Amino acid sequence: VIKCVIWDIDNTLLDGVYLESPEQPPPPDPELLAVLRELSGRGILHALASRNPPEAARYVGAVTGTRFAAAECGWESKATAVRRISAELSLAPDALAFVDDDMIERAEVAAALPEVLVLTPEDAAESPAWPDFSPPVVTAEASRRADMYAARQRRQAEAATFGGSRDEFLRRAGTRIAIGRAEPADVPRLRELSVRTHQLNSGAPPLAEAELAALIADPARLVATVGLTDSYGDDGIVGCSVMERNGACSWPVPVLMMSCRALGRGVLDALLGWLCRAAAAAGGTALTVPCLVTDRNVPMRLALAAAGLRAAPGAVDAGGRAQFSRSLDGPLPAVPDWLSGWDGAQ
Amino acid sequence: VSLQAELAQLLAEVTGHPELAELPPDVSLFGGEAGLDSLAGTMLLRQVHRRYGVDVAAEDLNLDALADLGTLAAFIEARR
Repeated sequence: VIKCVIWDIDNTLLDGVYLESPEQPPPPDPELLAVLRELSGRGILHALASRNPPEAARYVGAVTGTRFAAAECGWESKATAVRRISAELSLAPDALAFVDDDMIERAEVAAALPEVLVLTPEDAAESPAWPDFSPPVVTAEASRRADMYAARQRRQAEAATFGGSRDEFLRRAGTRIAIGRAEPADVPRLRELSVRTHQLNSGAPPLAEAELAALIADPARLVATVGLTDSYGDDGIVGCSVMERNGACSWPVPVLMMSCRALGRGVLDALLGWLCRAAAAAGGTALTVPCLVTDRNVPMRLALAAAGLRAAPGAVDAGGRAQFSRSLDGPLPAVPDWLSGWDGAQ
Repeated sequence: VSLQAELAQLLAEVTGHPELAELPPDVSLFGGEAGLDSLAGTMLLRQVHRRYGVDVAAEDLNLDALADLGTLAAFIEARR
């Protein structure tokens, strides 16, 4: 049972970034403000962990009307902040939840403290319905989500103590990545991915359901879905790519996006390997991914670099995008043998 | 302790694989032995930024500095 929720401030409890407008800082996120109040009413404590000056904590306390039991503001890692709060409040890590919009911060905390329940702001908005936060009434939907997070906790805890390489762990966990040809029924999930993913998104603007349906129906495009499951649990569709057929030229990939649920499980790397193979098999000579260059999607750029894609140095256009490309001659990036499904043929 | 050895230590921490603290400076970080993925890579870059004040992601569009520990150390050395 969770006894304390540790909150990030920027783009989590606040609807914006504190230091971007210290004269008039952003207001609290209304949905999470309601969660703060609801959980307080159940006797759950709140704490803050933020890369901000201490004034930010005072501001958040005042603007949310919440007494925070502890506040760690500074420039150290969030894992360090969570450890300090755990010691200060004498609460074991398994009685703590940590909420942050940044998936790398979440990954750091999850890696350093696998017992802590690590949540996105979207998860936190649903948390009052989960058994960990409210022993009595539980809906079927909420318990499915809770099962998924429990599966994630178990996977993380076992990965942390597993001696071998990441791929050996993925194999032992029975990881299966299934590439599928997107169907009209997938549109709502793809819309969700398009709106919600940032750090593993090449930066296509959010796509409306009608646009996605049109892409799927267009024979000149390959729209692939990526399913992910293992012996701990089934994550369903976690990713999507759109690739344009382009004969014996470079095949563009205008849409590439992946849920942070897939993070650290080799799924984006596998999808890039699959895209290279599907394009090469149909006569494509190169693969090009236009990617927004920001400090948010560094994980996407790392995956592109790992798959051998490069942009011309300094070639970032006025829209902040660079064209990352690689030849499809010679050896292609590896795909794991647990990837299966559609081969990209029409 | 040399910068390369410090970076190997950081790599071991972010990947959770203590044996990588002994990784030779010319072994490729992507794929193979080191198996740096986008998660561990981003954590490594954040630690580098925190510790040495060098924002590799902002300065190196293609992230070629992450080819191996030797190239990463040279990149940091040239900027701090």
